[in-house]
Amino acid sequence: MVKYEIKKVFSRTSSKVALLFLLALLLFVSNAAVNAGIYADETGENRSGIAAARGRMEQKRQWAGTLDTERIQEVIRKNSELVAEQDAVSTEDVKKNNQIFHKKIGFLDIRQMLIYSFNDFNGYDYYLPDKLSPEDAAEFYPNRVKHLEEWLELKENEEQFSENEKTFLVEKYEELETPIQYEPADGWGNMFELMPMLIMITMLALGFLVAGIFSSEFQWKANAVLYSSYYGRSKAVSAKIKAGLLIVTVIYWAEVLLYSAIVLGVYGLDGMNCVIQISYWKSFYNITYGELYFLTIFGGYVGTVFLMLLCMLVSAKSKSAVVAVIVPFVLLFLPEFLRDALQGKVFNLIKGMLPDQLLQVNMIVRYFNLYEIGGRITGAVELLFPVYIVLSVLLCPVLYFVYKRAEVK
Amino acid sequence: MEHLKKQFQDTVAVADVTYTLHSGVYGLLGANGAGKTTLMRMICTLLQPTQGRITFGGKDIFEMGGTYRRILGYLPQNFGYYPDFTVQDYLMYIASIKGIRPAVAKKRVKELLAQVGMEEMKGRKMKRCSGGMRRRVGIAQAMLNDPAILVLDEPTAGLDPNERIRFRNLIAELAADRLVLLSTHIVSDVEYIANEILLMQDGKIAHSGTVSELADAVTERAWSCLVPQSMVASMERQYQISNMKTVQGGVELRILSGEQPCSSAVLEPLTLEDIFLCYTQTRPEDKEAAEGGRRHGKV
Repeated sequence: MVKYEIKKVFSRTSSKVALLFLLALLLFVSNAAVNAGIYADETGENRSGIAAARGRMEQKRQWAGTLDTERIQEVIRKNSELVAEQDAVSTEDVKKNNQIFHKKIGFLDIRQMLIYSFNDFNGYDYYLPDKLSPEDAAEFYPNRVKHLEEWLELKENEEQFSENEKTFLVEKYEELETPIQYEPADGWGNMFELMPMLIMITMLALGFLVAGIFSSEFQWKANAVLYSSYYGRSKAVSAKIKAGLLIVTVIYWAEVLLYSAIVLGVYGLDGMNCVIQISYWKSFYNITYGELYFLTIFGGYVGTVFLMLLCMLVSAKSKSAVVAVIVPFVLLFLPEFLRDALQGKVFNLIKGMLPDQLLQVNMIVRYFNLYEIGGRITGAVELLFPVYIVLSVLLCPVLYFVYKRAEVK
Repeated sequence: MEHLKKQFQDTVAVADVTYTLHSGVYGLLGANGAGKTTLMRMICTLLQPTQGRITFGGKDIFEMGGTYRRILGYLPQNFGYYPDFTVQDYLMYIASIKGIRPAVAKKRVKELLAQVGMEEMKGRKMKRCSGGMRRRVGIAQAMLNDPAILVLDEPTAGLDPNERIRFRNLIAELAADRLVLLSTHIVSDVEYIANEILLMQDGKIAHSGTVSELADAVTERAWSCLVPQSMVASMERQYQISNMKTVQGGVELRILSGEQPCSSAVLEPLTLEDIFLCYTQTRPEDKEAAEGGRRHGKV
């Protein structure tokens, strides 16, 4: 039965178009992730593509290791030397400037962390590291906690965070083990940049595939034969749910894993065991790139499954694939609709728990969406998973009973 | 069926139907909107009755659920299909939802395709089949589980005369040892194959019996006569006309009346179509009375 349900889905032209679209999306996103970032070789020639990605990684690997005060001092010193060298070169001399940039590439990630560490919590001065002296290096880690505390004390945050929440954030910041281990994580970083887009578009395309599973019988007037059959109100309904989940699972994982394999195949797995603060300095989630990767792809899967079950439920209830296919779009853009109606903390709390958040876990680890449950503070990520897993599990029997009880009028 | 009723908002589609069906072919006749399809859908558990119950072997069919549907075959009026499935795929899918194991289903599909004359079309997509072919696939799907109860809702609608005759013969062939409930508004279809006729009117089974029983119960007889064109209007006002044909020398009328309508009228045997008209059409005198009532402000 499941086989025939899947066959019904893929016999439609719209499904074939959706599959081709997903293939094109995979190629486009993979290409964009591989080609993200700029690179100039030692001769000052601009490079692109796989060679550039590998060249960048090669340069950065030279700076891998424990990011202690000595290493920070070394970066500040090297950066100052190159700034001085660059000052002596005309801006017109592109080749020479590129040669200096080539020498900078290796420590660009660490330089980026210097920007965040030495600016105020919400400040961003790109040239600030150029003004640092090696003596400042000792403040590199303390600055992170200090700037957070200063920011939390601002008047604008009085209503935003309770005292418990402020304490929670500071504790989380202090829990980060320092000095951190540095490895270039370009592969993970570039992959994460486009992952939410890939997951969201895949989810929307999947909506076109599954929206018709429960409405097609009504559309084709085949419901009378279905419901008058032995399994018409039992196993045939389960087969539809199984087919929907199977299509979502196979296509989602194929899309996400192929994308990961292409990007990591080019960049390598470097940085997997490093903390995400290398890219997301302000995040209070003390996790590694590898852990964030699993949270992102499993979050995307849970969110996609939930939204697709909801789409199928609407399809079963409304008997219309068109109405059903709108559901994922509405939920994806719901935060925008809510923006005018809800403001401030309430808006953030609601927005932080909408299913679209699961499709972009690598983005939400940067936000301070906190929830207090039974006196315990927790981040949105820890809540989103159990909430949507439970809701998805509950949706299955609801979907089953709604479809099973339908009448043929 | 015991005091069966189905109401859709203000409309009563089936009103207090009580009837027992046994093995054999039942022809369900009625004008459009008489409640035939609604009654059949309740028998197929597609619609819950508003009141009353349907039992099979003493058990409520809605409580029996799958056990009842296991012995049921249904060909709906608007037979829907999956356009991109081949005939073979379609039947194999229906076999799977009827709980037939794939190995058995394969054999059964082959047999039925041969029986309905669709063996060579098994690889053809459903959307590429003609209306007649689809109807034959429809009957094949209804027969897949060798049902004890076969419900056919307007199975010959939209078929050309040859297809209709072929289909009628097929139904007669498949009807042995089972209960077949066949609904149609093409009276001649049931006349040939039904053992018993159920006449539905305003949601009720108004009359039932064999063709001869129904014929005996009507007071009207069928008369045939040739009248000049100028007399047709007055004859229409006076009598129930079941057919008229313009021929050389006037109009040939088939009149349903208890008395000889004119001296030249010749008595003809009553057909089921005549009987159907006697039971379902408003008589001229009733029509006149109704019109008179309206003229005097009555409804």
